[in-house]
Parts: sequence; structure tokens; C-alpha cells
Amino acid sequence: MNRSKKYLKISAALLLLFVFIFSACKKYDTAFVETPDQRINTAIKKYQSALTSSPAGWNATIRTQAGGTYHYHFRFSDSNRVKMFSDFNLETAGTAGESSYRLKALQTPSLLFDTYSYLHLLSDPDGNVNGGDNGLGLASDFEYSLDSLAADSILLTGRVHGTKLTLVKATQAEFDAWQNGRWANTLAFENINKIQNYFRRLTINGVNYEIRINSVSRMLAFTWVDANGTIRQFTTSYYYSATGVVFVTPFNTGTQTVNGLEIVSWDAVNSVLNVKVNGVASIIAGATKPLKVDLSAPQRWWQTAASNSGYWISLDGFHVNGVDDAFGLKTIPNYYFVVYWPDYNTGSNDLFAPVFINAAGNGLELLYGAAPRAQFTSDGRAVFTNIGFYGTYPSTGPARLSLNQLLLPQGYYFIQTSPSTYDMVSSTDAKAWISLQLVQ
Amino acid sequence: MRLKIFITFLFGSIIFFSCKKEDPLVVDDISGLGGDTWAKTALDKWLYDTLVVPYNIATKYKWDQSELELNKSIVPPKEEKVIPVMRSVKRVWMEPYILQAGELFFKKYSPKLFVLAGSASWNLDGSITLGTAEGGRKIVLYLLNDFKNKTMPGYVPADSAIPKQMFHVIHHEFGHILDQTIRRPVAFDEVTKGFYTADWINTDDYSARQDGFITAYALSSPFEDFVEMISIMLIEGKSGFDNIVNSISGTSIRGTTADQAKAKLRQKESIVVNYYKQAWNIDFYTLQLRVRNAIVNEIY
Repeated sequence: MNRSKKYLKISAALLLLFVFIFSACKKYDTAFVETPDQRINTAIKKYQSALTSSPAGWNATIRTQAGGTYHYHFRFSDSNRVKMFSDFNLETAGTAGESSYRLKALQTPSLLFDTYSYLHLLSDPDGNVNGGDNGLGLASDFEYSLDSLAADSILLTGRVHGTKLTLVKATQAEFDAWQNGRWANTLAFENINKIQNYFRRLTINGVNYEIRINSVSRMLAFTWVDANGTIRQFTTSYYYSATGVVFVTPFNTGTQTVNGLEIVSWDAVNSVLNVKVNGVASIIAGATKPLKVDLSAPQRWWQTAASNSGYWISLDGFHVNGVDDAFGLKTIPNYYFVVYWPDYNTGSNDLFAPVFINAAGNGLELLYGAAPRAQFTSDGRAVFTNIGFYGTYPSTGPARLSLNQLLLPQGYYFIQTSPSTYDMVSSTDAKAWISLQLVQ
Repeated sequence: MRLKIFITFLFGSIIFFSCKKEDPLVVDDISGLGGDTWAKTALDKWLYDTLVVPYNIATKYKWDQSELELNKSIVPPKEEKVIPVMRSVKRVWMEPYILQAGELFFKKYSPKLFVLAGSASWNLDGSITLGTAEGGRKIVLYLLNDFKNKTMPGYVPADSAIPKQMFHVIHHEFGHILDQTIRRPVAFDEVTKGFYTADWINTDDYSARQDGFITAYALSSPFEDFVEMISIMLIEGKSGFDNIVNSISGTSIRGTTADQAKAKLRQKESIVVNYYKQAWNIDFYTLQLRVRNAIVNEIY
């Protein structure tokens, strides 16, 4: 009895001790003096006053996930409005656009361009807008989280595609370069696609270079003939600056290094672009002949299809004097493509015809066609003559005009653009051409 | 006795050493609580005066990813397109119903939120979505940046496809609200029973019509069939609908003859018309005339 009472006392004392030890309160130290809400509101206010603090606005450079580099100029107001320029195209470089923006706490302080602007041109999921993939565009952002703020720059990261955007305070001179149309003048580089000739040429240091640009993917290719008479090619992507075009990979011509082209002016009357290469004035203008004619190209083109039982098609038809589908093939109901089928009637003739989608919409049909023959000249041209018709070939309209163009007496040069594509270019003035792809 | 003291002491220690509760965080100024705010413009005022004050309908034209599919690339609309679109919506959907069924009816049943997107929503199969709706409350309209009606410069008839699709979506979704409020007659589901299929996506409108469905989507369920009937009858008008029915020819893959298909569509038409009369006291044909006239003024 006494013993058990003693045990009870001891255990009660122990229990008391444990209670003392374990009921001691744990204090939570807060890492910040202010609450999360107070801190986010402070951060947003800080960014807001920074954005509106630059009198000449902000310069921004964006590299999209698709690869292109674009420049923007933003002016933020304190009433959620932003005015901007962009080197996206001629219009956006020359005319300021206004839209809205907002700073919002989306887990982190974020900058949202929340109505359509020049910035959204890069993100637009319609491939026709920016040349990107349908459903994705150029994979760029218009919602950015604000990463850090320095005295004259703000770093941002896109919330969906992770596009990096750096805002740097612009000087008045940089702002004026947009306002005074210097950037728009630079964008005139894209006008070389308005030169009606297929061949566009630039002379650097006495050497002729053929230039091809893709203004959507911003790729540029130089083709030239070297001292041994071999055709050489150099390709680079490019971006714009306030004065001209900058090559991502500098072009070493052998005698000098060309980092870009200074754009002087576009002469719309003569379709000539005045440029400067390393300070020396030059022009980019149309030419009627390739630098070096690929003598065997016409025969290679014909034989590739004939020996593979294939044929050549073009969705767009002939491009003539700067007009795509110049004869309006696409205006014929159910038109799908135009076909050139070498050796259609074996050993006798080829086939040239528009091809249509049938009434049920589940197959193709040939309603009529022409039966041309191709002859190959020793100077690298193909000349077509017609020897008859299949069905009743229309005597007027797009199909007849296209056939007349094909039968041009002077014939065509052939430019191989990939293993299975050729461009067929009129040998008279290089102002008419058709792009053909192989189907087999 | 000592034990009692111990026990008292024990309780005392528990009481006095129990932790002090900390004050909750200060939550007086949560960022974004109560919705987004921005400096209001003339556009905001127009939307407020035209849609919020009379009908309590909000229009969200500023980007809010949470209102749209998170896995899609979509862009916000151009500001200058918002008023023309909402004005058209008002003329083609709100006004006909208000004139026909009264303001009270409209205020009571109309969806309360429009979300606007500038681009379409591209699907994996390359098709695009031009409108969606959720729960009778929210309607999402896409492709605003390409919206053009007759009053805009450079309008060509081909531009009518986009506004027409928008009107189709709105009338379709409003049909759902009516159907969910007062259920459609059971007889409707019986007309083409056994033909509904999840495989509607592989069917085109023409084949669907050969089986007595107004569109391919109507094949998906009686629920959708009913509101597709409402929507197409309203936007095409009486003669447009008659033309669709009369254009059916041939026997369908599933063995419905043209006459059977026509009869089924006519039967569905009369059920819809009776439903509007009995459930809502709306004369469907007058409503149809009003909607169609509004559409003609808008795009033809």
C-alpha cells in the first residue's frame, strides 16, 4: 500500500516534469516583418512607379521560343495604358499603337499586356499573322513575372513560354529613332520582296551576290560564284537595329567581314533598295538571269519525276509581275492545284492541267488538260510546246492564261530549292515564276 | 491529500502553460481581392452603361487566363472590336428576346458573364473553336479580332461566317439555359432515339441531316440536339430552315430515307415551337423573324 502510494507520487512528479518540459511554447519566427499581402502590394507599387518613371520610355528586346529577335519600345502611363513601337513589320515600326497593361499579383508580381497590342502579334496562334505554327504562333509571351528591378532596367520572364524580356530605360535619342521613322526606314529592307524579278542582287567589293530573304523567319541567304566558278552559299538569321540589318553570323566575304547592312532608303519607283556595306554605298536591285545558270537543272527536274513515276504540283500557280496566283486559278470552284506531269503519255508527251476536288469532296478529278513537250536548250533552259489536249481545254480564263504562260517561247530557268522542290523562272525578265513540288 | 495537491498542481500547470494563440495575419489589404481594378476608359463606361446597369451582364475583355483553356495559346481581343461585337450580340440575341418575352424574363435567365478572346482556340486536330459556354452563366466568344459586320469598311460576304458562328453559339447556350430551367418534352428525345452517337465528330452536317439532325453536333445527344434546333432555326430564319430541310435527298448510311429525315426534322421543329409557347409563352415564329431580321441587318 505504502509502496504503491510512493510510486504514484513519483509518477505524478514525473508527469508534472514532462508537462513543464513539453508544454513550453514554441515561438515561430516570421522571416519578414510585413505580411505577404503588404509585401506584394509594396512590390507592385515599386514596379508601377518604376515603369512610369522613364520619360523616354523603355527599350525591350524579345527573343521568341521560335528563335526570332524583336525590338520594342514601351511607354507606360499611370492609368494602365501603354504605347508601343515594334520592329515586327513596317506598320508597327512607324505608327505607335496604344493598348492596356496591368500589374497583378499572380503568385509573383506580374506585368500583363491585357488587350491586343504589337506584342501579341508574336503570340497570335494564327500562323497567318506571324508565320508561326497554327495554334502556337511564335511561342512568345504577353504575361510576364517581374523578376528584378535595377536603377535603369527591369528583368521579366514570360509566364507560359519562359520568354526573357529585359526593359532598359530609353534615352530621348532612342525614342526619337522610333518617332522619326528611323526604324520604319530600316524595315524597308523587307521591300526587297517587292522587287518583281526573281533574282535580287547586291554588289560588295565588285562581287555580285544573289540575296534571298524570308522576312517571316528572318533568314537571309547570299549566293555567289567564287573564283573557281563554283556556286557558294552563306545563310544567316538577322534582326533589325535602328540603322539597319544585323547578321547573327557575320558574313566573311574573303576580303572583308560584313556584320550587317545599313539601310539608306527604298526607291519605290525603280524598285531599288539603297544600302551601305561597311560604309560603302551599294544597291539591292532585281536581275533577269541567275548569276550562274544551272545548265542541267531543267533535265534533272524532268527526269526526277519521270523516273519516279511522280509529278510536279503547285498550289499557287504562276506568280507574275509581283502578283501571287496572277491568273486567278484559285478563283475556279473546287480548284486544288496545278500539275505538270512529265512523261504522262510515255515517250510521247507530258500533262499540264488544273486538278479539282470532286463533288463528293473525297477525291481529286481531272476535267481537262494540255499535252506539252519539254525541250532542253544547251544554255540551261526548258522550252515547252503543246501538241494537243485532253478533254475540252477552256479557251479563256485562268487555266488558259496559265497554259499560255507555260508555253512562253523563251522558256524557263530552273532553280533547285530543295531535293524535291524547284522554282521555274521565266528566262525573258525573271518576273514570272512558279514554285513546284514533287509528288510521287 | 498530497495526491490531491499534486493533481491540482498538475491541472494548474496544464492550464497556465497552454500555448498562447498568435494573432492571425493581418489580412486587411489582399492584392486583387474584389476583382481586378484599372483606370476606366470610355469602353469600360460603355459596357457598364449598356450591359451591366440594365441586365447585370459583365463583359471581360481584358486578359484573364483563368477564364480560358490553360493549355491553349489564345490572345486577348483588340479594344476597338469589343463594342461592335457586344452591340451585335445585343441586337441579335438580347433585343429579340426582350421584345418577345419581356425584360423580366431576360434579366432572370440570361447568362451573366461574357468572356472575349481575340484569336480562335486551336484544337489539336487543326480545327478551331469559336465559342464555348459554362454552366449557363458564362459564354466565351473567340476570334473577335477578325470580327466584321456590314457597317465596317472592307466587309465582304465571306466575313459573315465569324459573326454568324458567334450568334449560333449564343443562341445555342441560351437554349441550354431554357432547357435546364424547364425541361424539354420527353417526346423530343423519342424522335431520333437510337441515332445519338459520340462519334458525331466524324460526321458532316449533310450526313447528319440525312438522318433527321440539323447539324452534326446535334447527333451527340438529345440535350444538344434540342438547342441546336433552336439555334439554327433562329439564326437561319424560317425560309433558311425550310431550305435546309428541303435540300435533304438520298438515303442515309443508316437507312433513313429523305422523306423520313424531313418528317423527323419537322416533328422536332413543332416540338420546339410548342415548347416555347407552353413553357415560356413565347411565339417562336415571331421570335425567329426578329432574330433573322437582326442578323440580316448585321451581315447580309
